[in-house]
Amino acid sequence: MKLKQIQEALEIDSLYGPVDCGNLDINSVFTSDLLSDVLMCELENLLLITSLTTEQVIRSAGIIGITAVVVTNNKAVTRGMIKLAEEQDIVILQTRFPTYETCLRVGRVMEAS
Amino acid sequence: MSSESRGEVNPLETSLRLQELVYGLEIRKVMTSEVITVSRQTSMREAQALMKQNAITGLPVTVAGSQKVVGMVSMNDVMNALEKGKMDDTVFLWMTREVQVLHDEMPLSFAIAAFNKYPFRRFPVVDKDNRLNGMLTFRNINLALIRELSQQLNKMEHLIEDSEEADIFDLVKVYSLQQHDFENGGKASTEIKKFLKRRKVPSGVIRRVAVACYELEINLVAHSLGGMLGFDINPERIRISANDLGPGIESLELAMTEGFSTASEWVRSMGFGAGMGLPNVKKISDEFEIHSEPGLGTMILSIIYLKKENGKEGDNDDS
Repeated sequence: MKLKQIQEALEIDSLYGPVDCGNLDINSVFTSDLLSDVLMCELENLLLITSLTTEQVIRSAGIIGITAVVVTNNKAVTRGMIKLAEEQDIVILQTRFPTYETCLRVGRVMEAS
Repeated sequence: MSSESRGEVNPLETSLRLQELVYGLEIRKVMTSEVITVSRQTSMREAQALMKQNAITGLPVTVAGSQKVVGMVSMNDVMNALEKGKMDDTVFLWMTREVQVLHDEMPLSFAIAAFNKYPFRRFPVVDKDNRLNGMLTFRNINLALIRELSQQLNKMEHLIEDSEEADIFDLVKVYSLQQHDFENGGKASTEIKKFLKRRKVPSGVIRRVAVACYELEINLVAHSLGGMLGFDINPERIRISANDLGPGIESLELAMTEGFSTASEWVRSMGFGAGMGLPNVKKISDEFEIHSEPGLGTMILSIIYLKKENGKEGDNDDS
């Protein structure tokens, strides 16, 4: 599936990333608020769904080459996170939906595609 | 020194490189400046109490006012006086009178030579007016040497860092990490990842190195009082070492148990402290070692091989 499909499904208000990032491929999804678990994840073209808003989320994402991070619960994305994400080519999406609802919506998109 | 050992090579005498290293260092930059002294009238009992209180084994005897050193009273002298039941004697009667002093403007290499030449384990240091200005022990010299050596190493590391060429595979680098400095925890992993990527290391290996390194970095900032993360990379393997200054781990068995964590709520709120850090590092390392001592610190070593045949099976995919 394409990142823009996820963007639509989650009714994304804020997106931090390059203009054409909607065309990025997403092949797998991982949800966790524990960074050690994120770090051990070996999936490719990965979308991370988390409610954490620390710079370490983006650092962890960069280390294992995550494509995009969805921040749930309408949590504020910090300037530090945005800067780090830019440096490491990671897209950040912010959604008002809670984590569970976010997962359901992304799951539906995955099934359909 | 016994006659048998005279034939042995004295490491301090022969080390010209060491002399060179400390050539520019003046004794006064290395000595202990706060010196506890006694006067000639001090009793041996008082001298012994002073040594005990301050955990030292020798005191310079000075003339009040001029601060001139007239003798040294050591633990040995105290024991001799104690044996004879003369603890109420003044130190003047028991002190060593042949005192070898060092001048504070001398280079440290002179002091090292003095330690070789004389049997004393501590030297009073005087200024140009012969007034007592400090004390010099082997401990001072050790610390100064460690300081100089680490400065030299730093210089060498910067030289290596400057060579950006992708065909140079060897790298030795040390990152310093402060307690609770989460902002910088992760910088080392990002840099190492870049270094390996530029050298076309398989992505599976890079991922393992970066994850091991990152977990160790986070461990240092989350749990230690501060420490260092070191890399030693050659074409065969990547060696990552984490050394900290404490507090040390009470039970290594527990620390290596998946899910066990002593992390604070604050650390947990950042997404860490799930008790998977160390077990995960062990899992992705080809070789793993951990040593810890409460009160002293923790040392962790992780080695990841670059050559397939030595590495973890199935983990070195080139994808």
